Amino acid sequence: MKSTMAPIKLKLPPPFEDAVRAMEREIMRFLVRSTGDRDDAMDLFQETWLRAYRAYPTLQSEDGLRPWVFRIASNLCRNRARDKMRRRRVISDELADADAFSELASFEARGGPDGMLHLKRAIAKLPGKQGKALIMRKFAGLEYDEIGAALDCSADSARASVYLALKKLKADG
Amino acid sequence: MMNTNQATNKFPASPASDERALDEMISRAHAGIERAMKNIRRPEARVGVVPSPLGKLLIAESDRGLAAIHFLFVNSGDRTLATLRKRFDLIENEASTKRVGAEIQRYFDGDASVMSHRVDFSVVESEFQRRALMALQAVPAGSVITYQGLAAAVGKPDSQRAIGNTMASNPIPIVVPCHRVVRSDGSIGNYGGGVENKIKLLRVEGFNVGRDHRLPQQAVFGHAKTRIFCRPDCSAAKRANPSRMLIFADPECATHAGLRPCKLCRPA
Repeated sequence: MKSTMAPIKLKLPPPFEDAVRAMEREIMRFLVRSTGDRDDAMDLFQETWLRAYRAYPTLQSEDGLRPWVFRIASNLCRNRARDKMRRRRVISDELADADAFSELASFEARGGPDGMLHLKRAIAKLPGKQGKALIMRKFAGLEYDEIGAALDCSADSARASVYLALKKLKADG
Repeated sequence: MMNTNQATNKFPASPASDERALDEMISRAHAGIERAMKNIRRPEARVGVVPSPLGKLLIAESDRGLAAIHFLFVNSGDRTLATLRKRFDLIENEASTKRVGAEIQRYFDGDASVMSHRVDFSVVESEFQRRALMALQAVPAGSVITYQGLAAAVGKPDSQRAIGNTMASNPIPIVVPCHRVVRSDGSIGNYGGGVENKIKLLRVEGFNVGRDHRLPQQAVFGHAKTRIFCRPDCSAAKRANPSRMLIFADPECATHAGLRPCKLCRPA
């Protein structure tokens, strides 16, 4: 059939990878400058790419692509900075306990002649993961990543569990 | 305070001198991206516009089959493209869509066999709608089914209104033949691509619709399973399960489709 109709140009956005590859150096440079850390920048670059790909169908106009991708990257940077700050607070709180051993020792001492039994009972009362993490850290001397591997959680989660366990012991007095 | 350049994972202070490091970081990041993308990548679909006797059509085809046909004279197709983009990575490909366009043209030239496309119902989100559209594919060219009959075929005999909505939102008209669904009162009902186009499609298939947009007087009811056709007032037709009843334009069409006349009402 011979068509007399003029061809229609579809309003299709460019393929995602072509569009984002054109600005990937800029994104990486932005992430490096924002985080000041290569590993963080590479992590966030991957995360930015994947998030942008998932959300690409919702992007209304091709013109908005650049600010949109940078918005995703900057939001991720902000989240990462917030997480780091929280983690730092946990560590500093833990360090503020001066010496966790002395904390445990004082707890034991407060229990009088049955101090060790008192400490054991208090640890037994802690939620399972916190109790285990505390014992692994303070009695077995494991590193946080080792505890994380043993308890099937991240090193950060293990660190948080130890911190919460110590906090509860302190509160129980 | 620690000097940032001393730490191994810190980026050097002068970015101009380190473009190569930037490239290396990007390529390392891409290795991880490729692994992750394998799990989240959307399938590809080729899209294009083809002319047809019904007007310009937007066509989308994935590796699994035809994913969408949109009548561009109804609207610009932006919504259809937006829906497709949620499920597919779209690529403009004229060659693929021209082939489908040529098949539609052959169909209008009278070769109904070309419409045996594989279809991809990815854009149909509701399970009910998917079942209805699949059941509709079993209605052969040259016959029609009522909304009520299709509702019964899906197993929801009271859902004829939902069937109507499903037909209105059929993403692959012409190939998934929503034009073969008519009202129980004998009128042909509406069509997303316009009633005139519904009539045109039915006529191409040999189902002649009168000027009053009603089924012809000589229409007969055929049973899809027993392969017997009856007059509409035949007691056997009235007793039959509506989900299996098809309507043919006349006894000749029913015979042509491989059905035999009822011995009670003798429609032939």
